[in-house]
Amino acid sequence: MDETVAEYIRRTVLKIPRDEIKTMLQKWGFLSEAQLQNINFHQIKENISQEVVQLCEENCADIKQAAVLDIIYNHIYQNKRMWSVYQMNKKGEETEIFDLTDFKKKIKRQLRTALKNVTINFREYEDNAIWIRVAWGTPYTKPNQYKTSYAVYHSQTPYVFISASVFRSNLPLLCQALVVATSYQDIREMELRGHSLSSLKDIVFRRYSQNFQTHCPRPLQERNVAPENVDLRIIRENKTEKEKIERVNWEVFGHGPQPKLEFAQYKLETTFRSDPKMHILDKKEPFRCMVKFSSPNLLESLKSLAPAGMADAPLSPLLTCIPHKARNYFKIRDKKDLLPGGFTSP
Amino acid sequence: MRREGRSNGVRRGAARGRAGVRPWRGQRERPGGGRAWGGCPGAPALDGPEPVRAQAPASPGAAALPGKRDPQRTAFLLRKQWSLYSVTPLYRFCEARLRDYGRQLGAFIAAERQKGLAVEVGVELDVKVAVSCLPDLKGSEQDQAALLLQLSTRSPTSKKNSEDKVVWLGWFCCVAGDELSENLPEDFTCLPLFLVHGAERYTAIVGGWFQKTFDCYFRRLTISPLSLSWMAAMWAGCKEDKATSAMELLFSVPCLPQPLDISYAIHAEDAKALWDTVQKTPGEITQEEVDVFMDCLYSHFHRHFKIYLSATKLVKVSTAIASAHSDGIVKFFQSQYLTGVLMLLTELAISQIQ
Repeated sequence: MDETVAEYIRRTVLKIPRDEIKTMLQKWGFLSEAQLQNINFHQIKENISQEVVQLCEENCADIKQAAVLDIIYNHIYQNKRMWSVYQMNKKGEETEIFDLTDFKKKIKRQLRTALKNVTINFREYEDNAIWIRVAWGTPYTKPNQYKTSYAVYHSQTPYVFISASVFRSNLPLLCQALVVATSYQDIREMELRGHSLSSLKDIVFRRYSQNFQTHCPRPLQERNVAPENVDLRIIRENKTEKEKIERVNWEVFGHGPQPKLEFAQYKLETTFRSDPKMHILDKKEPFRCMVKFSSPNLLESLKSLAPAGMADAPLSPLLTCIPHKARNYFKIRDKKDLLPGGFTSP
Repeated sequence: MRREGRSNGVRRGAARGRAGVRPWRGQRERPGGGRAWGGCPGAPALDGPEPVRAQAPASPGAAALPGKRDPQRTAFLLRKQWSLYSVTPLYRFCEARLRDYGRQLGAFIAAERQKGLAVEVGVELDVKVAVSCLPDLKGSEQDQAALLLQLSTRSPTSKKNSEDKVVWLGWFCCVAGDELSENLPEDFTCLPLFLVHGAERYTAIVGGWFQKTFDCYFRRLTISPLSLSWMAAMWAGCKEDKATSAMELLFSVPCLPQPLDISYAIHAEDAKALWDTVQKTPGEITQEEVDVFMDCLYSHFHRHFKIYLSATKLVKVSTAIASAHSDGIVKFFQSQYLTGVLMLLTELAISQIQ
């Protein structure tokens, strides 16, 4: 077995948390059940990985099998990577039957014609997701297995989710290959990025809970499970106001859990306007700002601002439009026409 | 010959929102008004009853100090992350005995290492201590010269003539600290601000030695959102020649189910333009002006996002001049403003001590 392959397998196993190693090797299916029984999974990871490498040696593993193990790891720990969303479009309305074998052949051909040294692997998952792993080399060097790009294509949709690696210069090549292999016309990067691949899918596939205008939420009194404080001396002064804020919030954000995004970025190029009495900075030029919101779960966080008293309800459409518009990068300029307070986002 | 007055651009009082009068300051407080801080750091404030002191110096931050200031000598202080401490006055510290102190501190560190503290796993290194003065970092003649401590190690495997590796830097300073220093009894030295860059284990040991030797007390210096907004206003107004980085304010909202951080960065020119329309008198800043400046930024933000930044916590301010974090961490980016920023930080350290 090639030494680089052995080292690569060793390092991949070391990345896996100890309790997960056995399950992942079973999913991989390259080592037999009998071989797996012989490994002591209670020792330190260094030793486990050594034993795995030895067994792979017996089975004559090559880079293809090692790559499959890497795909399995990255599929389970997909949230460790940063994903960008790409959308393809086609001119006509003809829908072609998707042929997986043809697709794979075309991808390989496209990439290998352009760049001799690439390692390309595929794996299909549920909900029509095709995972494509590409390890990039140069005309003079072998592919670097540690610098890989991943593309996840859902065959019934025009969307591809790409986690590029350090070699961003290879992205156009990958995009071109995808367009050719899927018979679309072109591909563009959407302004949507995040770590949670499933949340990005929820947003573009519209799988998160939408707020339907006809839906009437149950009155708050029914929803309130916790027993009311029986002490009649305690009165909540702004009870109606609080309930109004809650209701407006629910209308805007919907009832279900929000898709998980980590940040939203706004480049503001609007003019500065303040209280006219103060004569502050009456300039026509834009007041240039960059605002970035970050949170472990941004949309849930924004949803809780109005009830916490830190924001008006409803929250600004600039924030609430994130799932509908499927983007978290914005450029905001003034509306050029009538309404002085409005904004457009191109 | 015109006598250079003290560039004491600092005035305390109701301006900074603290109600009480500090006991040993007597009646220096001015009711209402709230003039405080010279305009661009380093410029003197214009007082009511007291006569106008020296002109605002041409180069901001160059306090009225005789002799030339060499930016090269303090260049090593720039672009490093410094953790801040306030230090109570040192008892019987003698500037002439610096080499003694260096030796004693070195011996103390060696002893602590014998005890098993301050040891890097598996590495036996001799720690050398260098103690020196930084005379450039003074606000006025009355200030004590800054004191620099440098801990360096030399790997036993390296060659004889190789350079020592600096592993820890700490310096005490006092810039325009008259408020504290002029009321001190004889034997006390006023160096209220301590900045450190390096491993915490060394900081603990050096601090321990100073506390033991000079009967002083170190405390982490935190910076309130109020002080941070002052820094934002002051630094936004400073003149910059070349295209500079934006003014960035970082707000934190920790008490939500999912914590939220908001970074609000404004183009440096636009921030300065805004400050210039707010500031009424050059060379002078008032609390009201800082409030108006911040309110403008908050309302511009609210107009877009409907979020009240005033309800969140300002935790960091970063400009082309310096950056400061509420945990008491600063970075200096420009030599010419170094003294000005230190003046501000000295003031904060003194407030924390008193």
